[in-house]
Amino acid sequence: MSGQASGASTIGHELPVLSQPDTGAGERLDTRGAARKLLRLAVRKPLGTLGVAIIAALALVAVTAPIASRYAPDESFTRRNPGFDPTSTDYYRTDRNEFVLDAKSAPSMDHWLGTDDAGRDIWSRIVWGTRRSLGIGVAALAVSLTIGAALGIVSGYFGGLIDTVMQRFMDALQAFPALLILILAASAFELTLRNLVLALGFVGIAQVSRLVRGKVLSIRAMPFIEAGRVIGASDLRLMVFHILPNTAGTIIVVFTMGLGTVILAEASLSFLALTPPGVSWGQMLNSGRNFINSSPWQAVFSGLAITLAVLAFNLAGDALRDVLDPRLRV
Amino acid sequence: MRQYFIHRLMLNVPVVFLVVTLVFLMGHARPDFAEQRAAQGLSSTQDYEAAIKAIRHELGTDRPLWEQYGVYLRDTFTGDFGTSFITHHSVTSELGDRLAPSVELGALQIAIALAISIPIGIISAVRQDSWMDYVLRLLAVVGLAIPSFFLGTLLLLFATKLAGWTPPLVPTAYRELWEDPAANLKMMLLPALAGGFAQAAVIMRLLRSELLDVLRQDYVRTAWSKGLAERAVVARHVLRNALGPVVTVLGLMIGILFGGNVVLESMFAIPGAGQFLVISLRQNDFPVVQGVVLIIATALVTTNLIVDLSYGWLDPRIRYGRAA
Repeated sequence: MSGQASGASTIGHELPVLSQPDTGAGERLDTRGAARKLLRLAVRKPLGTLGVAIIAALALVAVTAPIASRYAPDESFTRRNPGFDPTSTDYYRTDRNEFVLDAKSAPSMDHWLGTDDAGRDIWSRIVWGTRRSLGIGVAALAVSLTIGAALGIVSGYFGGLIDTVMQRFMDALQAFPALLILILAASAFELTLRNLVLALGFVGIAQVSRLVRGKVLSIRAMPFIEAGRVIGASDLRLMVFHILPNTAGTIIVVFTMGLGTVILAEASLSFLALTPPGVSWGQMLNSGRNFINSSPWQAVFSGLAITLAVLAFNLAGDALRDVLDPRLRV
Repeated sequence: MRQYFIHRLMLNVPVVFLVVTLVFLMGHARPDFAEQRAAQGLSSTQDYEAAIKAIRHELGTDRPLWEQYGVYLRDTFTGDFGTSFITHHSVTSELGDRLAPSVELGALQIAIALAISIPIGIISAVRQDSWMDYVLRLLAVVGLAIPSFFLGTLLLLFATKLAGWTPPLVPTAYRELWEDPAANLKMMLLPALAGGFAQAAVIMRLLRSELLDVLRQDYVRTAWSKGLAERAVVARHVLRNALGPVVTVLGLMIGILFGGNVVLESMFAIPGAGQFLVISLRQNDFPVVQGVVLIIATALVTTNLIVDLSYGWLDPRIRYGRAA
């Protein structure tokens, strides 16, 4: 468990871990062989495959948002007023308006997921929310991965005092519930997209550096690192060209699992209205609660979108971990 | 044991210190920010510059940063977490009134999580790879992905549509548990369920994998071959040895619950620390936000320490002398 920090004294006794069997990245087989291999993997990991498929669909929707959304996310729709009566002289009744706001309507062919309280198409807003969630998630993880991997490699490679100090610092970061750091950040900094991404990225550093460090500890004990040192490679060279590439599997797993976490955190923040304005799932869920009994569509569909995205990244992350780096099981 | 205790304690001192420093630095991320916010309440007839100066002097922010840091450290470690901009009461006393609902909600959630996850985890492990195992595992996977505020929303919807019952969603309806248990539990029910379900998924998955580990141990085979009933084997020999990691996770969970309950408390109008945090944030009451975060973080570090220690107590095989 991540709660058990291993101190400097255990590092020397770390058993060298046998290199994992090659997962196929190195061999260039004919495409049919590779396809068969992938298919076998898909059969062996059905849930992971489902996750990857959902991620692919979400990514497609996010990229093609202007087309996939069908309508602009802030376009208000109106509908013909069935009680329209041009002869009415009663100015206090809406019957004199030929069109009324098409608000809170149920799903239909025109509006696949219905409309919200301002007559806007919910499907369109979910689609644009996908783009925003995934965009923020990928950007934030890029921040956590860059800093976290660098810290993890340095910490694991040098060991000793550097390692101990860094790991204590990561302890401090992880002792904080992420949402509290984010709320603190929202109160201390301006609510801009850049600050949001930086804050979400910052929160993820501890986890990334921990997992990368663990991997580095086992890589460091392998003969090829020793060989590199014997022929005079510098520490920097060993870290960048020999250790970093070997953490790729870990990084892919951490990235996939981390995206689910970041998307959830972003949704929680936007649910609390602590994110910069824009179309987001959390904000839709929050405002949809106000009219959940008359028209549950907005709250339910935006909540399902969050759940589906988090589920997909969790499933894919679990499967990738089993395949790429089984030791990571936390 | 004592050596281990001191060792863990020493490890936690720098952690608390770093948390405090982090909060301090966050507070100074934008110069004059706190002062401007404090000055927002001033009437426009006052001399703005003079007012800012007075506030800065009062807050001590006209002094150099290291000096402020010193004062801040002294205040924090003597239990002075600052004064609210709005109510002018100390953060400690403001928070004191709001801890009970938060602690109650957290306790209910953990109770619900355990009540669901332990039987489910046992069934899933003992009947490994049966259809029931698959269904339960799938439920757990979905439970992990559902945000607690969405689950809360769904529960609210179901309660209204199916049971025709809506809990009161105004803070004034809240009564302490010892004043009016029925009114209290009415408001606690849905957020407790929403938070409990999510944590049940975490515990169930962990418990299942631990149980599967233990079920393959030699002494369990011995228990079976003695002819013990399944119930006796599982309850007396297996479960007890699988619970250790669950306790560790429970400790970590308290932190997660506190974080998640910020949202749930705001949603269900429970006047706890989480709701207080959000309200203060909306009112730009910066000292309160800082103070609450600090108090919660310190409480969590302490909880984790206690859990670490109890883990060793539950499983005597843990050698305390070993560097942890």
